[in-house]
Amino acid sequence: MGAYFKTAKELAEAGKREIPQEFQSKEHLIYSSPATLSFNSPGAQGFGVKRAGLAVPGSVMLLVAPGCCGRNTAISAVPGEYRDRFFFLLQDETDIVTGRHLPRIKKAVKEVVDFLETKPSVVMICITCVDALLGTDMERVCEEASAYAGVPVLPCYMYALTREGRMPPMTAVRKTVYALLKPARKDPRAVNLLGEFAPFSDDSELYDVLRSIGIETIRELSRCKDFEEYTHMAEANFNIVLNAECRPAADEFNRRLKIPSIELTRMYQIDKIARQYELFGSAIGAQIDVSAYEAQARAAVDHFTARYRGLKVAVGEWLNADAFELSLALLREGLEVTDIFGTITDENFVYIKRIAGLRPGTRIYSNLSPTMLNYACAEGDIALTIGKDAAYYHPDCPNVPWNDENKPFGFAGVTELFKRMEDALERRSGR
Amino acid sequence: MRGLLKYLSPFAPDQSGATSVLYGLGGILVICDAGGCTGNICGFDEPRWFDEKSAIFSAGLRDMDAILGRDDKLVAKLKKAVDQIGGDFVALIGTPVPAVIATDYRALKKMASQTVGLPVIGIECKGTALYDEGAQSAWCELFETFTPDTAGGTDSKVLGIIGMTPLDLSTTHPQECMALPEALKGYDDLYCYGMGAGLEEVGRAGCAARNLVVSPAALKAARDLQKRFGIPYETGYPFFTEIEKERFKALAGKKVLVIHQQMAANEIRSIIEKAGGSKGSVTCGTWFMQDQEVMREGDVRFTTEEKFREYVLTSDFDVIIGDPLLRRAIKEFKGTYMELSHYAISGYEGM
Repeated sequence: MGAYFKTAKELAEAGKREIPQEFQSKEHLIYSSPATLSFNSPGAQGFGVKRAGLAVPGSVMLLVAPGCCGRNTAISAVPGEYRDRFFFLLQDETDIVTGRHLPRIKKAVKEVVDFLETKPSVVMICITCVDALLGTDMERVCEEASAYAGVPVLPCYMYALTREGRMPPMTAVRKTVYALLKPARKDPRAVNLLGEFAPFSDDSELYDVLRSIGIETIRELSRCKDFEEYTHMAEANFNIVLNAECRPAADEFNRRLKIPSIELTRMYQIDKIARQYELFGSAIGAQIDVSAYEAQARAAVDHFTARYRGLKVAVGEWLNADAFELSLALLREGLEVTDIFGTITDENFVYIKRIAGLRPGTRIYSNLSPTMLNYACAEGDIALTIGKDAAYYHPDCPNVPWNDENKPFGFAGVTELFKRMEDALERRSGR
Repeated sequence: MRGLLKYLSPFAPDQSGATSVLYGLGGILVICDAGGCTGNICGFDEPRWFDEKSAIFSAGLRDMDAILGRDDKLVAKLKKAVDQIGGDFVALIGTPVPAVIATDYRALKKMASQTVGLPVIGIECKGTALYDEGAQSAWCELFETFTPDTAGGTDSKVLGIIGMTPLDLSTTHPQECMALPEALKGYDDLYCYGMGAGLEEVGRAGCAARNLVVSPAALKAARDLQKRFGIPYETGYPFFTEIEKERFKALAGKKVLVIHQQMAANEIRSIIEKAGGSKGSVTCGTWFMQDQEVMREGDVRFTTEEKFREYVLTSDFDVIIGDPLLRRAIKEFKGTYMELSHYAISGYEGM
């Protein structure tokens, strides 16, 4: 059979309680295409658990696992700045069955600390499915190791087995990286941006917006130059959560450090972005004027659509957007989104319903379905792909990967995306 | 400390070795994991995966599947995939998760075979062993399952080459640099199992006139074929380019340590010795299997980072030939370090 898909209309009519099994990863084997690599393995590419765990300045990581779990962290595979920060304690066959490796962890931590010229700010211990199954009390192991080695030691759970659980690996690590913060006197003019392991784009209006309402210090984990700067994140008046996976971390901030949070969502529908800023202003009791940024985004979109209205586009999910929200935004601006490669969730089903209203025939595929092996790559009349996975399926199409490490946000994200879409098309036409 | 790596990173594991042998044979390869192991195999240890589609799937195990041992669910998923995309066989490849819960592969194989109606092979990898162990099991299973006893006994002019995988050869295009020695020329057909030969050729493996074993991981399978069909085998590694050979020859007369998989290391020793007669000395070292039949006294097998450092730094080699990654562990070595990639160590291709 060919690659399995459902149209937006079929999915919307069936409702979110009747999502076909082919879209539920627990119901089928999971296809491995280059398109799925970044999100199908918690340590594979980009900011997986291992790299994310090293977001704390001055930290090092000890991976305690069978050799196979550390293979993609081969020194040759990780970016240079991380090469001297990974250490491995390999489990053998007896370890993984009996847990006899546990008493060795504290000694390994000490040996690593003694080996390093500079004492690390924290040793992150990354453990994997094996310890999930053994039921290892890693908090306790870390406490013991910390006392033995004389440095903070924290657990990072790379439990691929729990991906659809209450605390998936990337959610857990987002919580872990803030665990070293201690209560501090609050600075009413300081906020933290939570959610990513790389900075948000410098050109995002969010920074200007915050400064316009009197915020003088905006901190992000990835911009902290050293551990000292990291500790000042505990002074924030409030946190802004920019990735839903950071909600448990934000709850922990509130519980432990008495720092409340407010959540903003990355979107590409211009009117929704404006509305979100309006609501944000109301919530914090401030007047926010984003009209200039909104006009800029509108101009970029209008400039593009004046030339490319009706352009056929395929949208993937390996990108800095929700595939369905972005598709809806493009459809609303007059583009034809013919194919979407995405993972359907309770949260984004609402967009599918709206997509169905605008373009019922849009085909929706699951990247993880075994049938994607039979996707007719390069076929069809798609003129542009967005997302690195979409490029895999249509290698000859102009593509905007839109998966930079620095994360776009707000109107600036819309402006930049449409600019890159135009650049991609013009490069292809040789203009 | 045993198992602690401060300089190096883990080498290719057994499940990568098994997958590498079976890749491209038209089967459905199921890695019995939660997703991470498959990501490691595809994203790191199987360079062919970036260039060609392959039916490698993760079983997508979740915590309750593992805790409750829901093999029936895995078989149902397998059946669905076979119905959707077809395939010539199914391979179930283990990882740490089934190792921890003691999955019974024989039962799983039987259950899967009855349900999907295709031959099923099971490779009991654990993720704690190195790639050559997984590859060894896969080579043996492959010929045992797909080479019928009736396949032997012809007077064919087929040379089988066993052991070719990117993990052993550090290239995805070995045929481009393959130069068989004179004694092995003149065969009508070459069956390059692992990289080129398909399941059909595997089915006719019993007809081969001779086998050339290019990796120690394939020796056991070659011996099995010898027992079953009387096919003689020899070892070798005909994959070095002329430029590489010239670089090796230039080391004649020196005290050299060659670190690679055993067949590749032996080949380099042979090239150096042919160029230099009895002058100098060449020791072969490996982190992987070391077969007694093809080793010399003094050859060394490394088992830990500490022992590797101690051996190298207390010896007086003029030259070490080895993977670039290994150099990190012996920065104090004063001699010449000649880099030669071994994909199973660093994931680097080529010299």
